[in-house]
Amino acid sequence: MKTDDKKYIRFRMILVGIVFSCFFATIGAKAVYLQVYCGAWLSQKAANQYESIVKSSGKRGKIYDKNLREMAVSIDVTSIAAHPVQVDNKKTTARLLSKVLKIDKNVLVRKLTSGKKFVWIKRQVTPREGEAVRNLGITGIDFIPEHNRFYPSKISAAQVLGFTDIDDQGIEGLEFYYDSYLRGKTSKFMILKDALGRGFDAEKITFLNYSGNNLVLTIDRTIQYITEKALSDAVAAFSARSGMAIVMVPKTGAILALAHVPFFNPNTVSNFNQELWRNRIITDPFEPGSTMKVFSAAAAIESGSSTPNSIFYCENGAYKIGRNVVHDTHKHGWLSLQQIIKHSSNIGAIKFIETTGAKRLYKTLRDFGFGTKTGVDCPGESAGSLAPYQRWTKIDTGAISFGQGISVSALQLITATCAIANDGILMRPYIVQGITDQNGRLIKSFRPKKNRRAVSSKTALTVRRLMRTVVTEGGTGVNAAIEGYSVCGKTGTAQKINQKGEYTKDKYISSFVGFLPAESPKVAILVVVDEPQKNHYGGVVAAPAFKNIAEKIIDYMDISPTGKSEKLMVAL
Amino acid sequence: MFDRRFINYFDWGLLGLSVLLGFVGLATLYSAVSSSIPTQSPHKILYFKQLIWYGAGLAVMVIAFLINYKSIERWALLFYGICILLLVCVMYFGKYVGGAKRWLILGPISVQPSEIVKIAVIISLARYYSKIANTGGINLRDLFTPLVITIIPFFLIVKQPDLGTAMLVILIAGSMTVFIKIEKRSLLFIIVSCSLIAPMVWFFLKGYQKIRILTFLNPDRDPLGAGYHIIQSKIAIGSGMITGKGFLKGTQNALFFLPEQHTDFIFSVLSEEWGFAGSTALLIVFLMLIIYGLNVAYRCRDPFGTILSVGITSMIFWQAFINIGMAMGLMPVVGVPLPFISYGGSSIISIMICIGLLINVSMRRFMFE
Repeated sequence: MKTDDKKYIRFRMILVGIVFSCFFATIGAKAVYLQVYCGAWLSQKAANQYESIVKSSGKRGKIYDKNLREMAVSIDVTSIAAHPVQVDNKKTTARLLSKVLKIDKNVLVRKLTSGKKFVWIKRQVTPREGEAVRNLGITGIDFIPEHNRFYPSKISAAQVLGFTDIDDQGIEGLEFYYDSYLRGKTSKFMILKDALGRGFDAEKITFLNYSGNNLVLTIDRTIQYITEKALSDAVAAFSARSGMAIVMVPKTGAILALAHVPFFNPNTVSNFNQELWRNRIITDPFEPGSTMKVFSAAAAIESGSSTPNSIFYCENGAYKIGRNVVHDTHKHGWLSLQQIIKHSSNIGAIKFIETTGAKRLYKTLRDFGFGTKTGVDCPGESAGSLAPYQRWTKIDTGAISFGQGISVSALQLITATCAIANDGILMRPYIVQGITDQNGRLIKSFRPKKNRRAVSSKTALTVRRLMRTVVTEGGTGVNAAIEGYSVCGKTGTAQKINQKGEYTKDKYISSFVGFLPAESPKVAILVVVDEPQKNHYGGVVAAPAFKNIAEKIIDYMDISPTGKSEKLMVAL
Repeated sequence: MFDRRFINYFDWGLLGLSVLLGFVGLATLYSAVSSSIPTQSPHKILYFKQLIWYGAGLAVMVIAFLINYKSIERWALLFYGICILLLVCVMYFGKYVGGAKRWLILGPISVQPSEIVKIAVIISLARYYSKIANTGGINLRDLFTPLVITIIPFFLIVKQPDLGTAMLVILIAGSMTVFIKIEKRSLLFIIVSCSLIAPMVWFFLKGYQKIRILTFLNPDRDPLGAGYHIIQSKIAIGSGMITGKGFLKGTQNALFFLPEQHTDFIFSVLSEEWGFAGSTALLIVFLMLIIYGLNVAYRCRDPFGTILSVGITSMIFWQAFINIGMAMGLMPVVGVPLPFISYGGSSIISIMICIGLLINVSMRRFMFE
């Protein structure tokens, strides 16, 4: 190379410089493309990789009875999960865990080798199990705080409260109906995770107190217990299939107790037949039988077609309507309306309704809320069935007057009875009286709500007098009489319909509905016993249970005896 | 031997650029080894090791510019011979790391002779070409010796296997040869024969190397396997956007999405944290260094000095281009360190020798005026 040939070197140099610069320009262009043009998109892609949203749910609110005694609480539990990618020795881990948690080893191996980023190992373990797993100190095993629902009074009011699933969601009863209030607020946290899916920064998050709200029920745990005890005794005594009982405050519609037999334990839901979970008082309509005569009488009196002293011929126990023959348990001749109710004569009921007319009966029954939902704050309410009067035949009208050919829920029946006790005003039944926040501050309260006036106050008073006679000497409900107290009531004995749609001769629903004290009713009680074996009369099967419940409630609520008013009532 | 003109002619600019790159490198490495979770991440000890290597590198650089490069020219063949010997030693006594035998263990330190071999090839070629170069260009027969000089280390390095460094040797030698100028007919012959041979190379590639090339052509063919590195690198670079996420704030690096974040993919760490501004700035500094190197070559009146400088400059250029290009998905994934920035003792020593040699040539330019 000639050193003097400067031009030559200069040219070669510039050439190399340009070539090198061009290569760098390519890189520069790619940098523009990646960082400027694709920047936002790639940032999002990056974020998708390292950001992970973690949900954390607060504790579910408690359910209290009216005196703030706990009926449902949430307790802290731990669940064990795994991040399979981070678990080094999957076989050994599975072996160790299976020993401690008593889960099949192969199931665990399958979970750990599934290639998923997160798997549950065991939900809601016992504290001892949790401690044992913690002591193993396996990396990739995570302990997730969760809440488990616990019902301290176990079987009590189980069908009303309902229960939650393992994810803390209410799926039955009040737990379901008020889920949005009860549920702990779910907070979402953004955490960073690394390439192996391990989250961190999670511990830094300060978990706020964000429990759900609490329900305060109208139910009184003691009355609930009294009711359940008396009902289960009655069901046992008559080897009945099942039973229901309700205690309600007539003036407000507040439900003090809702009892079902057989019981189930919401703490171990899966051990019980799904049939038992239902709040049958609200969901299952049945033919009420003679208790319905109370409302037929109300229709007759309200329409002015009869007075308590109007007399009807009861055909000596057999009355033919078309091709059907209606029977009475006891043969009666002439009876007054009052006597018809007292002795529960079906023929008498037909007779006085014949003078009232189907239309008036229908209207009154609708006014008492039959055929429509009461609007109670429980899920799955049934409206029962009450066909429009235009479709009633003569026998239908007669049957409805004594409570066959119509179906009502137990709740409808007691609610309507309460209207009689409440001077004719139909209240909306309710079970939750207030909602409090996690600090116990009341955030919502439910006042008693009037649905409508069913009958005039005068008619209601008259019907109360009719019902009073039922629980006196000679009445069908005399077994419900309580010394020193004036009790109003009505028995019911309904034949059940079999699957073919015929009335059976051996299956009955025995019931008793009533309230006390007659002059100023404090509580109304309905007892329904399904398929009692030894006897089927409402006055024999259900009335004693009513008395049993009523006596204990009188003690508990300290309702004063009203001998004086008794005379006053008679004077009326 | 000492001449005041050494001081007057000392190339402070070259030193300054190198020191600047050195600091950028150390800062980026610091970030790359500071992940949030200490286990799994490349340990912080690497950062201090790198600091020590830089110290050693500075000493080597001083030696490299104190010795007159003319005497280096004289001892070129010996230097070359020693380096080849080291490569042979690697074949027999080398340490396996990740399926490749690239390192020689010398007591507490491990060295990668292939890094030094590049310099030996540059010096040897410079010495040879400086004797035969002319304005008309060299012919095929003249190319025989350079071919031998290049091909021996090439095969020894391919054997390790370290395809990236081996290709780098070829690219450096090629750049120097093209710079020297080849006769038109010879050039044509080379181009034609190369384009015929190139497809055959495919059959000599190892399985994983083929996969890398296929992955380069289509990274999405296996996004969680072979394509993972390049996709993650692109995400890291792109998510830096224009201004970057800030020093030590790179998520893709800290959360281990970036593979090899302290060596091959260190540029992605820098890009993520400093954004387009940072990566462009780094490119500009590298380009300045390259232009500076070419300027040294241009101003040198001695053919050996000129060709040596061009060789060194092209080495810096190719390494920077391949490494950054790879991180951006412009190149298949090959393990070529980014000069000054990537972690690695041999790489630092090698680049410091190169800078020392450039300074050497630059400060002695007065000798030929």
